[in-house]
Amino acid sequence: MTTATLSRWNRFRESFLWYSFKRDKVAIASFIVLLLMVFAAVFAPLFAPTNPYDLAQIDIMNSELPPVGMPGADAAFPLGTDAQGRDMLSTILYGTRVSLLIGFGAVVLQAALGILFGLLAGYLGGRVDSILMRIADVQLSFSTLMVAIIVGAVFKASFGNLMFGEIAIYMLIFIIGVAEWPQIARTVRASVLAEKKKEYVDAAKVMGYRTNRIMFRHILPNTLSPIFVIATVQIANAIISEAALSFLGLGMPETQPSLGSLIKSGFDYIQSGSWWITLIPGLVLVVLVLVINLLGDWLRDVMNPRLYKG
Amino acid sequence: MKKLLAAFIGTMALATAPVALSAEATKELKMAYDADPVTLDIHEQLSGGILQLSHMSFDPLVRWTQELDFEPRLAESWTRVDDKTMRFKLREGVKFHSGNELTAKDVKFTYDRLKESQDFKAIFKPFSGINIIDDYTFELVTSEPFPLLLNTATYIFPLDSEFYSGETEDGKMKGAILKHGNSFASDNLSGTGPYRVTSRQQGVRMEFERFANYWDEESPGNVKKIVLTPIKENNTRVSALLSGGVDFIAPVPPTDLDRIKRDKNSDLVTMSGTRIIMFHMNQDRVEAFKNPKVRQAVAYAINQEGIAAKIMKGFATPAAQLSPAGYQGYNESLKPRYDVKKAQELMKEAGYEDGFTITMMAPNNRYVNDDKIAQAAAAMLARINIKVDLKTLPKAQYWPEFDNRSGDMMLIGWHADTEDSANFYEFLTFCTEAGSGAGQYNAGNYCNPEIDALVAKANVETDIEKRTAMLQEVEQRLYDDAAFVPLHWQDLAWASKKNVKIEPILNVMNFPYLGDLIVE
Repeated sequence: MTTATLSRWNRFRESFLWYSFKRDKVAIASFIVLLLMVFAAVFAPLFAPTNPYDLAQIDIMNSELPPVGMPGADAAFPLGTDAQGRDMLSTILYGTRVSLLIGFGAVVLQAALGILFGLLAGYLGGRVDSILMRIADVQLSFSTLMVAIIVGAVFKASFGNLMFGEIAIYMLIFIIGVAEWPQIARTVRASVLAEKKKEYVDAAKVMGYRTNRIMFRHILPNTLSPIFVIATVQIANAIISEAALSFLGLGMPETQPSLGSLIKSGFDYIQSGSWWITLIPGLVLVVLVLVINLLGDWLRDVMNPRLYKG
Repeated sequence: MKKLLAAFIGTMALATAPVALSAEATKELKMAYDADPVTLDIHEQLSGGILQLSHMSFDPLVRWTQELDFEPRLAESWTRVDDKTMRFKLREGVKFHSGNELTAKDVKFTYDRLKESQDFKAIFKPFSGINIIDDYTFELVTSEPFPLLLNTATYIFPLDSEFYSGETEDGKMKGAILKHGNSFASDNLSGTGPYRVTSRQQGVRMEFERFANYWDEESPGNVKKIVLTPIKENNTRVSALLSGGVDFIAPVPPTDLDRIKRDKNSDLVTMSGTRIIMFHMNQDRVEAFKNPKVRQAVAYAINQEGIAAKIMKGFATPAAQLSPAGYQGYNESLKPRYDVKKAQELMKEAGYEDGFTITMMAPNNRYVNDDKIAQAAAAMLARINIKVDLKTLPKAQYWPEFDNRSGDMMLIGWHADTEDSANFYEFLTFCTEAGSGAGQYNAGNYCNPEIDALVAKANVETDIEKRTAMLQEVEQRLYDDAAFVPLHWQDLAWASKKNVKIEPILNVMNFPYLGDLIVE
């Protein structure tokens, strides 16, 4: 077992991926920042000075304190407090966790749907292909945000607020995941169309393997690199979509805020002095999305066969 | 193609021509409120928004001036006949928007309709009838000597009886009052007021045009067209004013007062208000609220001073009772009683140490920072282990919920319609009685017949000292019983561009008399 992992590690170290990663300073920096943010977010309960979900810890008299270093600041709240008296640092840590969870969750769902439908459409072709791709076309002709707003509003109206607050994370994952699957499905289908004409697929057919096995065990692994690239970019997109929905009031409730709802809650105050309530979570969101996008860019360059195998 | 173009230009020229004709009222006013009126039927709902609409499209018999004196409007003069009867002389030659002329029969029609209205009937309960003497003379009669008769007459906005009588094409009564429904009156309007409604898209935009045959020719108002846009977001509303998108906004959020004061092109008008903001605790929905100790615990847990200082930025007066200072019922000895330890003890004594879960509802575009106040209150209740499921709604959706009393704690703001303490109790704490309209807005279902009887006694007491003592006792008993959670009296603020002279038309009731507005 040890040897197996070791040899895998060695294989990874000798791969082109690792080679180009080591030489790309932007990728290294982005990766470190992302890692730090993910780490801080995942272990938020350990780092955060207070639990922002526990309303009993909030005191209205602490509201709108500025970040440390400004007149009137309180050392107990390093990044200041929001209008309700919540500690911004804790809230941002917890908010980043929610945003990341929604981002990853939505992309896993997108990928599951996209890969399944893309494989089916590409490999089976004919009527299945037409139907699935027309559905994808129809869905792409609506903007993601619009679909998400409609679905979100319907859910919010039918479940009531307390219920919605409890299931909001899953709802958002579902909404964003379902709204964006055609992106991945199309990419997968294109790669499958190229792959299925190759000899190894013919060989597998001749050997009498069933369609399922050929699709998932033979073709899918060969289409993974574009999926990785697009999934990375989609994580960033999903985080942005979630922030946009929350900003519109259709996302996470104010009692368990994500970055988007944090930005929204400070919006009223941005021009009247308390800029930190909106600006700091805004910066965190920008940095988060930026490093994911930079990593996605790098991944695209590395995985593009025309750039290195050519 | 050329022909088409010529025709197009022709129509454009025609369309623009009439504008130049009107000589006096030529200005256009773009204004933004936090919400637009939920209906055009001024008897459907008793609320600030509807009364503001009433003052735009209708005229009352008499109205308050800024100094809280009475100013004759549709009633030219009035005389006391005896201690229960007041005779009014109606102004002659007043036209409704429909072209009909105002007579005493329109006043009777309005009076009868008010008596039927769920929301208004409690205000008109002391009245026993109306006598028409001739076309322009009528008498209002009360069953007991009623000191607030003229105060109440400010709420009689005569309706066009001919316009609101008969049936619509699909057989509905035109005069029917339908709460939150589609009645004829909720979409059509004909009053005597300075502005006709020319178009209305609820929640989006409302357009008014000055009524050409408006009776008050001495009114200095020179605004021809008003466009009302509801802008719910505080920040967006203020930005709209500062960037010149609108000329007049209300309310101004406390966080932005300084910003507007600093702006060279804007005027800010503020007044200390008399509108109480409070929570009801619904005893029919939550068993625990039947226990006075639990209610007191909630009252002790809420930090009124914190809310007034932090969320309202000092732009409100923390309250421990309903009556603001200056009202007869105002009881000086009552102070906000924020004390978390005491609250926790009371919960323990009541046997609810582990707390319970309740739902809370609040509007998010009705009162200044209403949703933020509710959030803060929810956090404060967490300290005594009451878990709150908070729902904030735009007011168009909030009032139907409020009428159904569908939240365990509901936020409401109340301004005494008669500028008198008794009005608070009649609507907010009286035992609910559908027939008389008493307790119509008592979403707590609190009921104490002794207190109700005391208020009723005070209402017919003409000795001011005795009446004051009675009303102060009412406040004291409501306080001891923690019948509700008072929060604060909300201050008022409006802002406009420099050339829009809002100061003379504003008043503490928050009914801007837009008919008299001068735009330079």
